[in-house]
Amino acid sequence: MITFEGAAKVYPDGTVAVDELDLTVETGRTTVFVGPSGSGKTTSLRMINRMVEPTRGTIRVDDVDIRQQDPAKLRRSIGYVIQQAGLFPHRTVLDNIATVPLLLGRRRSKARARAAELMELVGLERSQAKRFPHQLSGGQQQRVGVARALAADPPVLLMDEPFSAVDPVVRTSLQDELLRLQQELHKTIVFVTHDIDEAVRLGDRIAVFRPGGRLAQYDTPERLLAEPVDDFVESFVGYDRGVRRLSFFPAGSLSLRQDVVFDTEDRVERARAAVVSDREPWALVVDQGRSPLGWVSARRLDESPAGVTLGSLELTPYGHTFNVATDSLRAALDAAVLSPAGRAVGVDTDGAVLGVVSQDDLGAAIWSVSE
Amino acid sequence: MTAAYDWVSGIVDWAIADWSHPGEPDRGILARLLEHMRLSYVSILIGLAIALPLGLACVRWRPVYPPVLTGVNVLYSVPSIALFFLMLPYTGFSDWTAIIPLALYTLVILLPNVVDGLRQVPEHVRQAAVAMGFGPLRRLVFVEVPVAVPVIIAGLRVASVATISMVSVASLVGLGGLGQLIVSEGFRRQFDAPIVVGIVLTVGLALVTDAVLVITQRLLTPWAYAGKGRSARKRAARAEAADAGDDAVTSGTVSDHGESP
Repeated sequence: MITFEGAAKVYPDGTVAVDELDLTVETGRTTVFVGPSGSGKTTSLRMINRMVEPTRGTIRVDDVDIRQQDPAKLRRSIGYVIQQAGLFPHRTVLDNIATVPLLLGRRRSKARARAAELMELVGLERSQAKRFPHQLSGGQQQRVGVARALAADPPVLLMDEPFSAVDPVVRTSLQDELLRLQQELHKTIVFVTHDIDEAVRLGDRIAVFRPGGRLAQYDTPERLLAEPVDDFVESFVGYDRGVRRLSFFPAGSLSLRQDVVFDTEDRVERARAAVVSDREPWALVVDQGRSPLGWVSARRLDESPAGVTLGSLELTPYGHTFNVATDSLRAALDAAVLSPAGRAVGVDTDGAVLGVVSQDDLGAAIWSVSE
Repeated sequence: MTAAYDWVSGIVDWAIADWSHPGEPDRGILARLLEHMRLSYVSILIGLAIALPLGLACVRWRPVYPPVLTGVNVLYSVPSIALFFLMLPYTGFSDWTAIIPLALYTLVILLPNVVDGLRQVPEHVRQAAVAMGFGPLRRLVFVEVPVAVPVIIAGLRVASVATISMVSVASLVGLGGLGQLIVSEGFRRQFDAPIVVGIVLTVGLALVTDAVLVITQRLLTPWAYAGKGRSARKRAARAEAADAGDDAVTSGTVSDHGESP
């Protein structure tokens, strides 16, 4: 547990970087500090390992005042990942990772063995051990940065905008990797970012900082999106916070319709009967393995002669699908918006169709969430 | 053709005959060469020994650097020959008359390289070192100095070539190694052979010294050379592709479907 009690940082020229911060970071969880530049989020993070000394107030790590410890020793017990990785250009990947164990006086062979383990943990190949940092891609460098921070197995990990210097595609994969690692390791992570999407994705709790170094709101991501405390937080969280909040609700709660799903062998009249009786404008055609093939409209069914099988009709592409078991309402809504029929196709993990969600049903589900 | 051949063979014959004189260790071409090496290497080493701590001080106390740099640059603008003569009353005809000015010139060339090299450590690397728990001294020894080595050696290469060529000027005050061949034996006696031999050996010494420095740098800083070739660039490109590919798979699992606005 990390506690800030009235922590403040005022520079000699009068600039207030952090203003009376009171906050508790829970053990084993990921806490994200987010805010625009100049809001004191990075300064707050750096106060934890004394890279910035607070002007006032107290910071404790597991109830021990950090000022009671020698800064260098304190830092060796806290992992740190910096933007652009900050790898030592003159050391190999393996020796970069082994840095802190060596500083702690471990034997070189032991430190290197540990470093090799960590390479595997963060998804680096063993063949990269002898490379130098400039020979790696940005994403790989950042993986090395994470491995180096974890090398001495510190309980606390500070991450200072670690993924903001890589492209969005690589960033998403690094975020996934961090989520996976955290499930395994349960570190107390403090993560700084200016990207609210990254914060919502990674954080168990999010602290939103406002310019002038004041804490605006400290909440779970879900509550932050549902109930921003004021106009600043609301505008910072973004105009589509309502839609993004749907990420926190499972798609499994949706009612799926089976009666408008047909086989390629089914005949037109059968589909027509079901579709017409229900005033459903679209039917979904699937193959024998229940993989989706495409939509057929009620009008096309009307125009087609009886006795023709659905497989012989021209189909409208089915668009996107969502995984009923693992996806969120947001993914289901997205699939519906992207579907030419305006309906979302729910599939299982193997991609077999479980049913179709109409807009009415989706609307009802969203409405019940907003209650 | 024959005239040119005669000229060259005349020089070679002279060089062989005058290479060394048994019983007179202070005469002959070899003695001059050894003197040249002694004067230049000692000057370079003293220059380096002063440049390193001075450079560190200039990095540590930033305001010190501009006046120090101006000071040493002014020194550099003093003609070497004038400095040699200025030294004479104090050091006489000892080696120091040559070494002190030459060490100063080395210092002038090296100081900016030491400072730039130490400042070259990117801010994020320095910050990372602090955050890992390196104290100021360890950071200097294990991070900043190693990263500065290629820049320092680049300066050392320039300084060594400059010093080796400048030693000859010291022959005007009776020192100067190979310069004595050129000035006293060649120029004063209107004789080609010592001048040519002096030039060839000076150039040769500069080339060999430079080669030694290049090899030293390769041994000290393998990281500065690793992967500058084509295959490494390809590897980095593949790595980028692998990063992206990795990601296509993760985003394909729809778990983060539509997470970005």
